[in-house]
Amino acid sequence: MAQTTPSPAPTLTVAPPAAVALSGVGKTFELSRGRAVSALEDLDLHVAEGEFVAIVGPSGCGKSTVLRMVAGLERPSTGTVVVEGRSPRELARSHRLGVAFQEHALLPWSSIRGNVALPFHLAGRPVDAARVDELVRLVGLEGFESARPRQLSGGMRQRAAIARALVLRPDVLLLDEPFGALDAVTRRRMNRELARIWSEERITTVLVTHDVEEALFLADRVVVMTGRPGRVRHVHRVDFPRPREAAITRSPEFHEAVDLLTGLLDAEGTA
Amino acid sequence: MSAAARRAALATTGVLVLLAGAEAVGRAGIAGPSWPPLSEVAAHLLDADRRATVVRAASATLASAAEGLLAGVLVAAAAAFTGLLLPPLRPGLDRLAALLHAVPVIALAPLLITTVGREATPTVVAGLGAGFVMFVAFSSGLSLGGRRSTHDDVFDALGANRVRRLLRLQLPASVPTVLDGLTLAAPAAVLGATIGEWFGAPRGLGVLIVSAMQNFQVTLLWSAAACATALSLAAYGLTTALQRAAVRRMA
Ligand SMILES: Nc1ncnc2c1ncn2[C@@H]1O[C@H](COP(=O)(O)OP(=O)(O)OP(=O)(O)O)[C@@H](O)[C@H]1O
Ligand SMILES: [Mg+2]
Repeated sequence: MAQTTPSPAPTLTVAPPAAVALSGVGKTFELSRGRAVSALEDLDLHVAEGEFVAIVGPSGCGKSTVLRMVAGLERPSTGTVVVEGRSPRELARSHRLGVAFQEHALLPWSSIRGNVALPFHLAGRPVDAARVDELVRLVGLEGFESARPRQLSGGMRQRAAIARALVLRPDVLLLDEPFGALDAVTRRRMNRELARIWSEERITTVLVTHDVEEALFLADRVVVMTGRPGRVRHVHRVDFPRPREAAITRSPEFHEAVDLLTGLLDAEGTA
Repeated sequence: MSAAARRAALATTGVLVLLAGAEAVGRAGIAGPSWPPLSEVAAHLLDADRRATVVRAASATLASAAEGLLAGVLVAAAAAFTGLLLPPLRPGLDRLAALLHAVPVIALAPLLITTVGREATPTVVAGLGAGFVMFVAFSSGLSLGGRRSTHDDVFDALGANRVRRLLRLQLPASVPTVLDGLTLAAPAAVLGATIGEWFGAPRGLGVLIVSAMQNFQVTLLWSAAACATALSLAAYGLTTALQRAAVRRMA
């Protein structure tokens, strides 16, 4: 059943420090002629070290805004965002962040290998060719190292973007609907690949998605957000053992959880 | 392929119709003695001695245009990069460029003749024309206007500093726009050099045009004009090919 608090460990009385901590975060966007829209209000979200959290919610509820604030691309209007004990910008400046957005944002003039190696260049570090090749292999793009992004399919580009996000072994990985543009079949395959990659790397991850099944398959916790202004409505703990296989998506527990979360989202959509 | 062939055929037909029309107007003498039949202009250029005169003039103009273009590109790049590194200077640079561009060459010419001299005036006028276009192209190519893309977000999140952002994002991203500017700047440089030669330069197509006009050598006048047009078109064609190749590589 859903819980909002982590199950207490017998020897541990103090909760481990959160890798990502949003406390009382609000965000107001100024629109034209003095009008403003409140995108987020009093949002609390804590992600533990090595935890995978998925955020689902109705369109426009502020999911991307949450992610952009954790990435240091947007400042909260109220409240605080702390990542690995520092400000998000500091973490970004020390090259400890991995991001993949819905738009792959690969450099069109650069090869796939060049794109995956980009974080090394931006961090001013010598390119670890073996690591780049390992990531290219991990996302199943061997043989396409010298191809340009435009020569790849949409799904391959997104895999390249994920490889780029992972290549420096970031402390925190942020994914904003990385599979948003894909068909259901490719998407499920990508989910399995991401689950496999993630169980190898175990990076603190925040994933934004519209897809409840995707969230349940990948995450340790699924956060359901309310519509504008965005808040946390519900936190669902996912207890399927890892590494997860496609088989779990056919279990009755999985279907039950999908129904529960979909119901919550539907209620949000009509509210 | 057939669509491209059809387009080429249409364009060729258009040019031929235009040439035939000009020839007909010249033969009929509708536009008076200053409009010769094109065949006479061609005959003028077929004569080896006369052709040598035009070719010598054209190579002088080409040299001025090329120097002017190069100088214009370099100065424009320097100005755009200054704006990039020192944002407070940007509005001032924009206004200076617009002002230089707005002053008519006729007004500038006496000033140029007294400062840089008759010989260098064509180069400077070519450089002014090309430089303004290139300044606009560099500025918009480097996104100095401040448009943010998802690439900027990725570079921010990956902690790119200013130099690395310039080298890995802004410069490569600016190439198509800069080359786009070059396709306009190259013909502008040819035009600028030709006009610059009107103000007492020792040689060049502009000089030929002015002296042919004063001595009523109509076919020479038209030969020089045709040659200037051909240079301008060649500059455009060459830079356009370069731009297309770059876009194919970069996009
Ligand atoms: N830069 C901005 N300027 C003004 N308003 C913005 C800006 N960015 C987001 N908003 C507003 O904030 C709200 C939340 O936007 P956000 O992109 O975070 O939603 P989302 O949950 O990611 O939606 P979706 O699921 O459709 O991607 C929206 O109402 C949007 O209009
Ligand atoms: Mg979004």
